[in-house]
Amino acid sequence: MKETYEFNKEDLAEIEKIKAKYPDKKSPVMPVLWLAQEKFGHVEPAVQHLVAETLDIPAAHVYGVVSFYTQYYGERKGKFVFDVCTTLTCQLCGGYDILHHLENKLGIKAGETTEDGMFSIQSVECLGACGYAPMMQITNGVYCNNLTTEKVDSIVDGLKSGKMPEFEQIPFPQHQDEQKNSEG
Amino acid sequence: MPEIFIDNVRYEFEGKPLVLQFMLDQGLDPPFFCYHPSLSIPANCRQCYVEAGTPVMNRETNEWELDEKGERVIRFFPKLMTSCSLEASDGMVIKTQRTSELVERAQKDTLEFILVNHPLDCPICDQAGECPLQIQTYKYGPEGSRFEHKKVHKPKRIKLGPKVILDAERCINCTRCVRFTEEISKTEQLTIISRGDKNYPAVAPGTEFDDPYSLNTVDICPVGALTSSDFRFKARVWEMNQTPGVDVTNGKGCNIDVWTRDNLVMRITPRFNPAVNDHWMPDFGRDDITRLNENRISKPQVKLDGDSIKSSWSNAEMSMAEKLQEVKPEEILVIGSAFSSVEDNFVLNKHFSALGAKEAVFSPFIKEGSGDGFLIEDDQYPNTNGCRLLGLKELSPSELEASIKESGVKLVISLEDDLVGRGAVSAAAFEGKFFVYMGSNHNETSAAADLVIPISNSVEQSCSFVNTGGRIQRTVAAKETMYTNRKLNLEMSMGRLDRYGTKFDNWVSDRNRIDCMPAWEFLERLATLSDQQFGYQTTRDIIAEIASVNEKFSGVNYDRIDDELGVPLISNEQEAKSV
Repeated sequence: MKETYEFNKEDLAEIEKIKAKYPDKKSPVMPVLWLAQEKFGHVEPAVQHLVAETLDIPAAHVYGVVSFYTQYYGERKGKFVFDVCTTLTCQLCGGYDILHHLENKLGIKAGETTEDGMFSIQSVECLGACGYAPMMQITNGVYCNNLTTEKVDSIVDGLKSGKMPEFEQIPFPQHQDEQKNSEG
Repeated sequence: MPEIFIDNVRYEFEGKPLVLQFMLDQGLDPPFFCYHPSLSIPANCRQCYVEAGTPVMNRETNEWELDEKGERVIRFFPKLMTSCSLEASDGMVIKTQRTSELVERAQKDTLEFILVNHPLDCPICDQAGECPLQIQTYKYGPEGSRFEHKKVHKPKRIKLGPKVILDAERCINCTRCVRFTEEISKTEQLTIISRGDKNYPAVAPGTEFDDPYSLNTVDICPVGALTSSDFRFKARVWEMNQTPGVDVTNGKGCNIDVWTRDNLVMRITPRFNPAVNDHWMPDFGRDDITRLNENRISKPQVKLDGDSIKSSWSNAEMSMAEKLQEVKPEEILVIGSAFSSVEDNFVLNKHFSALGAKEAVFSPFIKEGSGDGFLIEDDQYPNTNGCRLLGLKELSPSELEASIKESGVKLVISLEDDLVGRGAVSAAAFEGKFFVYMGSNHNETSAAADLVIPISNSVEQSCSFVNTGGRIQRTVAAKETMYTNRKLNLEMSMGRLDRYGTKFDNWVSDRNRIDCMPAWEFLERLATLSDQQFGYQTTRDIIAEIASVNEKFSGVNYDRIDDELGVPLISNEQEAKSV
């Protein structure tokens, strides 16, 4: 059976607030898609049509936006999504090695989801963390930096036992000395 | 007047033209892909690069600054400019690829980038021969590909909608199709999806590209990415003839080009006319090729004991002449047609009026509410206003049926108009009458007729139509009949196959020539039996006579229609509706 999606009163009130921030009706599409993804866990075509109807914009436009950003899940993904960066800096520092290691470990290809619905892998474009390459992001949340295969293994094992890796603060190189100094 | 220097040649301009459009208007050939005069300007293909500069003005004296040689000091823009989005200004200097090595290099490199992921299989591509990318690569592109890696593969043969098929690999993302649905047809069904080298146009999931104007995107696609599902791989463009015509499927009278090969109409594309249809036409007008090619009446047919059998022209003429002698003039009902041309209707009316019959009648075919306010009108026939201006008596379908059924009427002559098929008149109305149908296609009306005269349609003769806006426009013969010949009729266009093909090769044949003649020509032949012919040789003679006897057509002739892209006969739109 085909699921139907709809926004409830609170969502619609939230959408009205978002719309008020923008001068035209095409602009709110990104925050509203985000809201929909938070609510439904994905923005499948049915949700895209719902967003288009709610905002009174063409469905094709919503589809274009969803397919542009890897952060929007145009299809259902696993509980944890590994967005492995493979753009230039990460690529040079071994981004593809990390990607292929993950693929072998989980037995799926980039763009696929494991059978138990736990993990998905995506090869994504630059996430703006070139200083800590190679890196990946987990489900539009935590950045995992300076990856090695061992680090990836421990992250995956940690996630299997329900432990989300913590956000690590890495100081800029120019601040590293200061930190050392303060540490004494 | 402001001046602009393009490749060291001085041009004058008025207003604020865009440099690319101005160059096109001057007959120059700047390369471009994404620009289209009727669409917005995204400047995303970067192929129309030029060097542009403006003279330096001395702000104190308000005069151009001069260098030591006494020439104007030109300050060039730091980077190359896209001429499509650059507005001309007084004294501007433009260097195109003809005078600037930098521009030449830029265009070559842009093309190289565009071709990185574009398949290099022109010989099997449907667009070859009319492909701006192919042409410009020949003219300005690199000699070979330096790209040694595997190209990005994208989906091929995607059915975007019932009529349009997409080959995403060929797409160069010029967004013309997307802009067309956003700005012209306003259905907003298309978008560009994904990003980087993976992107291509698509419809939203679960929808299809069923825009009534969808095939225009195929016309404006500068590569072979969008193709028409009806026409793809049917014919190569260089094998066909291109002849100007008028769309007869609707009252709007869109200007079209009729593409024929071996006397079959292969496709119909819109022809630019700013006063009627701009660059566009609705999809159903293009479907008209089936009517033009198939199910044609070839040779006259007579009904004998309820069976329709083929007959000779002389037999048809004789039996019609006999009938005319049998009945009194007032027992003849002549039905003109808003589907037929001005010339055919005029000669029909004149001929039978000369015999003493009553004025011809006609019944327009208007579907209220089927128009869309753009290029689709309520009026389903191309010449309703033409019949009105000729003074034919306008009857509603029920009035027409009543006048056919009148006991006084014994002979009914109808010019091409599927009265029965379109539900205006029932086939039973013709019972007990001698019914002569002059038409080009078999239909329910021709099935009801006692004598069927095959006549040439709008692409087999030059003829004119008056559209809903009161504009008279004309077609040119594109397709030969048994009795016309491209080589003799100098107005007909002649393609390579027509010129060099023979009956003994596989390319040309007589197979597709229909045994028919224009209605006016048949009526002239009929009149020679009683020596009452008017002496018309071509439709030019007829339109000349119409122009001299009917003041509403005064000053109209084919040359003027050709030069001015149609002549408005009714200036006021309100008037057009009420004529």
